[in-house]
Amino acid sequence: MVLDPQLIWNGLVVGSIISVAALGLTLIFGILNFINIAYGDYMAAGAYVAWAVNAQVGLPLGVAIVAGVLFMSVGSVVLDKLVFQHFRTRSPITLLIVSIGVAFFIRNLLRAIWGPSGHFYDLPMEANPSFAGVRFSVEQIAIIVVSLLLLLGVYAMLRRTRIGIAMRAASDDRMLSRIRGVDTEKLVLYVWLIGGAIAGLSGIMLGLDAQIRPNMGFTALIAIFAAVILGGIGDPKGAVAGGYFIGVAQEVSVAVIPSEYKFGVGLVALIIGLLTRPDGLFGEATR
Amino acid sequence: MALVDLLLVVGIIAGVYSLLAIGMNMHWGDTGLLNFAHAAFFAVGAYTSAILTTPPATGSLATRVVGFDFPIIVGLVAGTALAGVFGVLIALPSVRLEGDYLAIVTLSAAELIRLLIHNEAWLTTGAQTLKNIPRPLDGAIPFSYDLFYFVLVWAIVAVCYLLFERLSTSPFGRVLHAIRENDDVPLALGKNTYVFKLKSFGIGAAIAGLAGGLWAHYVYAISSIMFLPSITFLIWAAVIIGGAGSYGGAILGASVIVGLRQITRFIPGDVPFGDQLSYIRLMVVGVVLILVLYYRPEGLLGDAERLQAGTSE
Repeated sequence: MVLDPQLIWNGLVVGSIISVAALGLTLIFGILNFINIAYGDYMAAGAYVAWAVNAQVGLPLGVAIVAGVLFMSVGSVVLDKLVFQHFRTRSPITLLIVSIGVAFFIRNLLRAIWGPSGHFYDLPMEANPSFAGVRFSVEQIAIIVVSLLLLLGVYAMLRRTRIGIAMRAASDDRMLSRIRGVDTEKLVLYVWLIGGAIAGLSGIMLGLDAQIRPNMGFTALIAIFAAVILGGIGDPKGAVAGGYFIGVAQEVSVAVIPSEYKFGVGLVALIIGLLTRPDGLFGEATR
Repeated sequence: MALVDLLLVVGIIAGVYSLLAIGMNMHWGDTGLLNFAHAAFFAVGAYTSAILTTPPATGSLATRVVGFDFPIIVGLVAGTALAGVFGVLIALPSVRLEGDYLAIVTLSAAELIRLLIHNEAWLTTGAQTLKNIPRPLDGAIPFSYDLFYFVLVWAIVAVCYLLFERLSTSPFGRVLHAIRENDDVPLALGKNTYVFKLKSFGIGAAIAGLAGGLWAHYVYAISSIMFLPSITFLIWAAVIIGGAGSYGGAILGASVIVGLRQITRFIPGDVPFGDQLSYIRLMVVGVVLILVLYYRPEGLLGDAERLQAGTSE
């Protein structure tokens, strides 16, 4: 079977978005040890704030993106102080259920403020260029470039900076890292700042590639979960690999199965992944 | 509409949600299983009953070629049974997984089922609504039909409540509770915990299927967007607010949630933020869920001792 390069290109674009989102989710999971169901709604909130700054206030898209990312970065910390912080000593399941409440709140706040229907960023209309038979848009190239820069940036942060090394230590063994003097509360603050910013950015990317809707992030959540779990929960490198895998698999599948079912590819990959390699692509099967 | 009629409608919805919450309480409250597929079991019950009790669609634009025109009772029973089968099928590979992993797999499986319903138009009319679902004894009721259906639904809720309450205190239920507390212990005592988990999943899913059938036969028309994961999350909120492990709590929690969502029906349309009310009330559900978890983690009617169980890593 000859693969259509257009489908691979589409897959790389979608995979970039999923990778970035999965990286943020897995960082939060690694340190805080709970699955944040509201993560998709963080994404949507970032996309909406950027849209409001761009289309309603009328500022350039670049400024709007920075505003959306900063908003979600700070917003995540605020939500932590208001909500999650008070449940820190409870079980991961309780935190998961708390995040359901947060998800309800954010999603419906977005609907209450900006309505249930979809929006688009204010972008100049241009004909999509094509190269070697692949049609692409400027936004798509920007998505891929930005996501690669971000992935490299986070990788460098985790490897080179004190806070990044502390994050990896806490993700590996929280108890041990606390005993060795890692300031857990400070770490939590940084995780929300970074994880929230990444959520906002991935939401904006999702909005650039498609449409901005209140449930856009929640809809994407299953593919993101699939990426995180395929990569091994809490493993940033795995999340990125899982994200590209899911994105490409989802788009390329259109060549063989009806396109309505392309979202099913992520679901099936997730289920097979969990059942065969519960510790992820790079993990050791210990579970 | 008179106030009484509105209350009846709200009561019918609360009854259907109570059945969903009873099923979820068997999973989470009794057995400690994180089921995030409840909306799918609800959908399977609704669609099965609807397909069995309506003739195939006719006309030039008709897509659905399957339909049986059976009596409603056949549809309800089959819908309940098939939802139970789906519950077991989903549980078969996944129920061994640890808590949050199980949540994600069941959530994904539910979306897969919804995707099938949404796209297999020959069976379900796909993205369009499946219409003209018959109502039981329609036309034969000499008084308000809603009153009849209200009594019917709540009679079924009462029977299920008694049944599940009894099941929960029976030897079967005690094994489920033991699994919830620590599933190594019943295993060491020679209980096949895997089979018990499958049974719990199947029974809880079947009740959700029954709720789906009752829902379909009340509203005439169903479509796949009625069965989004947000239903599952609402039922979770109901069980947690009511008190996990308590069937009375499940019913109370479901009624509170439905009440919160439907209360704006009684508010005149010209109040400030009238358009936003439906969203604001869901924001309130989120806040209530968080507040209950903080101030009264055992829920309104739950047992504080239950908290020790099923929530460990």
